[in-house]
Amino acid sequence: MTRRGTFALLLLPGLAFLTFGFLAPAMGILFAAPGTDASEIFIRLGEMLTDPYDLRIIGRTVGLGLIVTAVCLALGFPIAYILARSTSRWGGVLLALAIFPLLLSNVVRTFGWLVILGSNGALGQLLVHFGITETPPQMLYTPFAIVMGLTQLFLPLAIIACYSAVSQVDAGLDDAARGLGASRGRTFWDVVVPLSMPGVVVAATLVFAGSVTAYTTPYLLGGSRQRLLSTELYSYSSVTVDWASASATAIVMTILVVLVSTVAARIGRKGATA
Amino acid sequence: MNTRKPVAAALAIVGYIVMLVPILFVVATAFTSGSTLRFPPEGLSFQWFDAALSYAPFTGALLTSLQLAVASTFLALAVGVPATLAIYRGALPGKGLVEGLFLSPLIIPELVVGLALYQQLIITFRVDNWPVLLLGHTALLLPYAVRVTGAALAGSDVSLEEAARGLGASPLRTFFTITLPILRPGIFSAALLGFITSFNNVPLSLLLQSRESRTLPITMLDYVQQSYDPMIAATSTLILAATVVIAVIAERTVGFAKIFGGINR
Repeated sequence: MTRRGTFALLLLPGLAFLTFGFLAPAMGILFAAPGTDASEIFIRLGEMLTDPYDLRIIGRTVGLGLIVTAVCLALGFPIAYILARSTSRWGGVLLALAIFPLLLSNVVRTFGWLVILGSNGALGQLLVHFGITETPPQMLYTPFAIVMGLTQLFLPLAIIACYSAVSQVDAGLDDAARGLGASRGRTFWDVVVPLSMPGVVVAATLVFAGSVTAYTTPYLLGGSRQRLLSTELYSYSSVTVDWASASATAIVMTILVVLVSTVAARIGRKGATA
Repeated sequence: MNTRKPVAAALAIVGYIVMLVPILFVVATAFTSGSTLRFPPEGLSFQWFDAALSYAPFTGALLTSLQLAVASTFLALAVGVPATLAIYRGALPGKGLVEGLFLSPLIIPELVVGLALYQQLIITFRVDNWPVLLLGHTALLLPYAVRVTGAALAGSDVSLEEAARGLGASPLRTFFTITLPILRPGIFSAALLGFITSFNNVPLSLLLQSRESRTLPITMLDYVQQSYDPMIAATSTLILAATVVIAVIAERTVGFAKIFGGINR
């Protein structure tokens, strides 16, 4: 057998797995949901994009995704910047502390917010203790809880993406700008941030895509009042067993993520060649 | 932390608080002698650890999770490593397309993959939950296997293998004496990452579960819905301790940065 033939054979098991375990079933969502005609799915998809209830869920999902993305960049970039420019041995420890949560189960990480934001939770007790409110305010099952939970979940991703970008910006450029009389703030905004843009775009894409598809956090912290696309998808498929709606929700979610990733990849490439 | 950048430092502190403080609260609550998630905890005891370790649904689910994580990691590597070799060493036409195909499960939301497998295999073709779970987890881990081992291969010199072949070594001998040692750190990283990813997975396990094949994270989510006591905190603390051990092993052997650098490329 030729060398090429051998290599092609090596691909076969993987391709078979992908075809039967991923590609074919994924196609089925569009065309062959159990006992459902493809046309029903597309009709439901059309309804979803006009019905106020469904639109509110899509809007809430995208809105929370954008907020979480903004918060993760606002907190993650400074952390990445400090870590990348740190020369002390604490830099390594802080970097490890930022990456470690990625290894830890989402359920475990999200559960912490139940302890903090719950009715007998730490934050409520603190607010009452300092006389800011008389009774602990309702924080669990609010958009605020979801934003906190998702920020905790995705901040490490934002930090890693920004960190690798900032590390590639020569620290000598900072010094040069400062030497030429630019203020610290001006050096940061006019030199460091623009040069790290590709990493920022990657960070934003990862966080946004993660936020609009996350299930555990909205389920635990959003309750039944803050429904998002992910919790709707689960309840259509496993509670109400409405395949057309489940498929339509899956399609909306996939388009949202693929669209954002594609646009971001475009921007990233343009940034790299500019 | 550098005090000459006060705004950046303040934001960084907020960031670390949001990332780490909830985890500390979970640990603190696990040791309470009370029976609620009240803070501060009422007293010190290990009763909730005892409760968690003797709660049959959790121990059963832990076993399921471990079996699934080991099996899917093994399968993903068994299928993914040969594919990686073909992609990075095969000089096959359409290399970019094939690579994209292997990475595609990363782009599609996991819930969507879970729904697809549930609808098509469990409902339509009546396949048992366990094989579908294994298939789904393996598909999910394939991109990691290909990307992380691929990074090890891409960073190495092809001429080493060519030299071995030129000196008369058989393809198999070349593979075992040259290529495999190059791949080893990548395979180790991919195995570690795969195990953790499968063990922690919620979206796929949620949609593909049955009573006999329910993983630990799903069982914990169910439990929180029914009762609101510190047993989940104790279970979480045990998972945290195990994760710290894995993290230390990862850092000591290949290094965090190497493992995660591979995914974000």
